[in-house]
Amino acid sequence: MAEYRAAQAHTDAGAPAPTPDRASGRLRAAAALAVLAALLLATVVGCAGHGGGDERVTIRFMQNKREVIDYFDEVIARFERENPDIHVVQDNNEAGFVPSLVRGSPPDVTTRGWAFASADIAKKDVFEDLSDLQAARLIDPRVQALVDEWGRHEQGATVALPFSLTAAGVIYNKDLFEQHGVEVPTTWSEFVAACENFKAAGVTPIYGTYKEPWTVAQGVFDYATGGVTDITDFFSAFEAGGSNPGPGAATFANTFAAALPVMDYLRTSVQPNAPSRGYPEGNVAFANGEAAMYLQGPWALTELAKANPDVRVGTFPLPVTDNPDDRRVRVNVDMAVSIPKGAAHPREARRFVEFLFRGDVINAYNADNAAFSTLADAPPQTDERIAELDPYVDAGRYYQGANTYLSPSTQALGHVQSYALDGDGPALLATLDEEWQRIARRNDYREIN
Amino acid sequence: MTQSMLARPATATAPPPRPRRRSTDRAYLIMLVPALVLFTLFLVVPTAFGMFFSLTNYAGYGPWEFVGLGNYLAMLDDPAILQAYGFTFFFAVVTVIVVNVCALAIALGLNAKIKWRNGIRTVYFVPMVLSAIVVAYVFNYLFSITLPMLAENAGLTPLASSILASERWAWVAIVIVTAWQSIPGATIIYLAGLQAVPGEIYEAASLDGAGAWRRFRSITLPLVTGYVVINMILGFKGFLGAYEIVLALTAGGPGDATTTVAMRIFSGFSGGDYSYQMANSVVFFAITVAISLIQLRFLQRKGVSL
Repeated sequence: MAEYRAAQAHTDAGAPAPTPDRASGRLRAAAALAVLAALLLATVVGCAGHGGGDERVTIRFMQNKREVIDYFDEVIARFERENPDIHVVQDNNEAGFVPSLVRGSPPDVTTRGWAFASADIAKKDVFEDLSDLQAARLIDPRVQALVDEWGRHEQGATVALPFSLTAAGVIYNKDLFEQHGVEVPTTWSEFVAACENFKAAGVTPIYGTYKEPWTVAQGVFDYATGGVTDITDFFSAFEAGGSNPGPGAATFANTFAAALPVMDYLRTSVQPNAPSRGYPEGNVAFANGEAAMYLQGPWALTELAKANPDVRVGTFPLPVTDNPDDRRVRVNVDMAVSIPKGAAHPREARRFVEFLFRGDVINAYNADNAAFSTLADAPPQTDERIAELDPYVDAGRYYQGANTYLSPSTQALGHVQSYALDGDGPALLATLDEEWQRIARRNDYREIN
Repeated sequence: MTQSMLARPATATAPPPRPRRRSTDRAYLIMLVPALVLFTLFLVVPTAFGMFFSLTNYAGYGPWEFVGLGNYLAMLDDPAILQAYGFTFFFAVVTVIVVNVCALAIALGLNAKIKWRNGIRTVYFVPMVLSAIVVAYVFNYLFSITLPMLAENAGLTPLASSILASERWAWVAIVIVTAWQSIPGATIIYLAGLQAVPGEIYEAASLDGAGAWRRFRSITLPLVTGYVVINMILGFKGFLGAYEIVLALTAGGPGDATTTVAMRIFSGFSGGDYSYQMANSVVFFAITVAISLIQLRFLQRKGVSL
């Protein structure tokens, strides 16, 4: 408004305005220049699109893990040597995937961490059924079930093939354990005894990083809940309850009350400044021996080695009951391979997927990256930092973390963090129940499902 | 731009009658049309899209159908959304007060006859040229690591835990950083206002025996009222949209104690809540428009034009 009035005042004061003819002449010249520039740009871009005389088919491979970009560059180089008619371009912008679906130009092959969010996309029928691939027959059916349980657009379809399984437990400092004569605990009582032993010796039992909600959710919350009940069964019963579960039904408050003593003990066995420490600080501190144990997954191992190359660590599953046979590990499908519908070169994409699942490719990747191969006949993982988890993965004694089942719209991570700070476990479980029912009600309002 | 707005005298004389013209001057069209096209293309059209999708159950991709006011009804039953509105308004009000009190004080100091005035002014404006997100990450480190360490060394154990980790007090840290970043902008406006106050008035007041506080209360403050109002309005509007500083300091936590409406809206891009959060943004839009209209009326009564 001010500008308008100012302009008005200016012309009213009688300042010379440009004559219409001269002004429009200049405008035309400017417009012509702009069009010319646009044409030139279009030509240049157009030329760049056609690589001079290359007969190969180019497929785009969207790979979701930044830390293994170089690794996959080598995998791709091998593939291209064996398949000279295909050129693979690696793309690491996972955030561009949904927009590419909207534009109708998805990548030819994708890898994704497979859980709630990926399944949400898969339910919209955007991935091809891969059940006819050779690779689909090689995969351990129990691992495939981890992918399938999240849901898909139709029963029986294989929307993603699990490529890499990561297993998380308690990372422990082998030097500190030996120094204080502590054995790896196999029951909850032994675990408590080990913690008390460390406390008595002035060593922090567990390094807590409560500043970052996900670390609490994946450690304290998931390990404790996963130890007391079968997570898959719980959530299918829980979902059946809908927005109005009856008394005694499968709810957080009913089912996970048993996990609260474990959570409370873990929560309080940390260093005093846990609330102000995050994941990066935790990695450095743990690598430098500031605590004996660290509730983290194998993704932290590289960071630990970076912070202190001499640190010797191992990983054991957290025992939550006094029966050693109850021990299980928390796993997640770190990478699952899919072919989006509408990709430009589905045939070449399938050849690339078959290549990725060849034993010498997939097993080598997982052996090198502290993960577990998803093939039924995979060799054991020998990396000493996670080798102790191999028998559990091999026997299928694992679960996917309870926190990953909660919709991102529930603020579950925030509630779990609040628990870590204030210690009110019953309130956490009640809040999670409320949130879940609220989402169910909201979806009723919005006619979803 | 702000300068020219403020420099306008606050008189209420009627504008001179506009001379009749046969057609609009071409210069206006040339200046107006590109702005109008860009505004429509990048603001009006997306807003209309968002409003449209707020009546559907669209997830951002895939099939969708109309659900009428379902999203809006669901919002009323969502404490996470209500919490975000509560926090955002509380934060905006507190920050506006803190920023304006501090900025006016600093402007008074920088306007006084002090040594190295220009140098000191430059130093005070540095926060304005730093990126908010960078500043917030630096403060995050200070609040989580440095301050607790200092407090511990000084033997102040109760202060040794990070303020960011407290659901009750994390907002204080956000107010501090936001104020630190916004004070220079407000100070510039106040400085301009203070320089427009004629020195003779102060001289006359001094001769009449008015003390410093009396001069401030009876001369400075009334003469810069317009600037106070402008700062309040621009600041309030900006703080309602708080996002990046909160994201870098607490990411909306601990729990969801410091989640703002903007963060809540942005969360709709994951979890299939796109249309739901679109409804939220339509409501937020309506609320901010209402507030702006009230503020505009208030401004016009004060005789300041925006």
